[in-house]
Amino acid sequence: METGTIQKLENLLLVAVPRDLMDEEVMRLRRDVAQEVRRHRSGWVLLDFAQVDICDSYFGRFIQSMAEMTGLMGAKVIVSGLQDAVVETLVELGMTLSNIEAVLDLDEALVFSRAGRKNSYVTPLWDKDKNGNAAALDQDGNFHPLADLKEV
Amino acid sequence: MGAQPLEPMRMPINNLINVVTSRRQALEMATKLGFGLPDATKIAVVVSELARNITLYTQGGAITLIPHNGQRKGIKVIAQDKGPGIEDVERVLQGGYTTSRGLGMGISGSKKIMDEFEIQTVAGAGTTIKAAKWLD
Repeated sequence: METGTIQKLENLLLVAVPRDLMDEEVMRLRRDVAQEVRRHRSGWVLLDFAQVDICDSYFGRFIQSMAEMTGLMGAKVIVSGLQDAVVETLVELGMTLSNIEAVLDLDEALVFSRAGRKNSYVTPLWDKDKNGNAAALDQDGNFHPLADLKEV
Repeated sequence: MGAQPLEPMRMPINNLINVVTSRRQALEMATKLGFGLPDATKIAVVVSELARNITLYTQGGAITLIPHNGQRKGIKVIAQDKGPGIEDVERVLQGGYTTSRGLGMGISGSKKIMDEFEIQTVAGAGTTIKAAKWLD
């Protein structure tokens, strides 16, 4: 049975989450990711859900546990590629994922991870601005929308 | 596409492979019945949750998918097991309550998704959950 493929890209660890995860595979994937985070000293783990078309509450627990685990290793989890139908279902299930950033695709994830590395400019503290858009908080407490960070 | 009449489908649920198979079948049947992708996905997730509960809490059971393609179009999902039964149905339906490693969202979330949702449970004898989602 295939587990997710893990690739290093800059400061990111890309994890392609397979379509139907089994319990043992979740364990293995978590272990592999931990190992790779340590090896590459990755600051961010990107869970790419593009292949996933059915996301039940078990999957939600997987995302949460991945975030907790990588958090203990000093890395942060970004989720990307969630399909519209999957997002709608997660919301209807009443699932709230705390401490997790979601981005639309890889491009946006790179903006995140690159900005997060520039410690002199932005502390990796991600939040939402007044309008609910993802934004970064700098040391003076000012929000910078994602779009601005591309220019940094 | 040839209009193949859809037949009810009963699938034994004994392990995680069965969980995956049953939700894939649900996605396929729902799509064939005319549900759009978001609703078909939700129905598949409900089947996934119910089937997973069977593997988590019982020695095995079955999921039956019943297509309704007559005057009223929709799908019925029946999950049956001979497990220990659900002790506190009200609490399970409220959500956030689990006796295993789950999030406690499976049943409460499924009830929200489906148009009809009914739990029959007898301590020591098993649980039957009947759910339906209609197209109109």
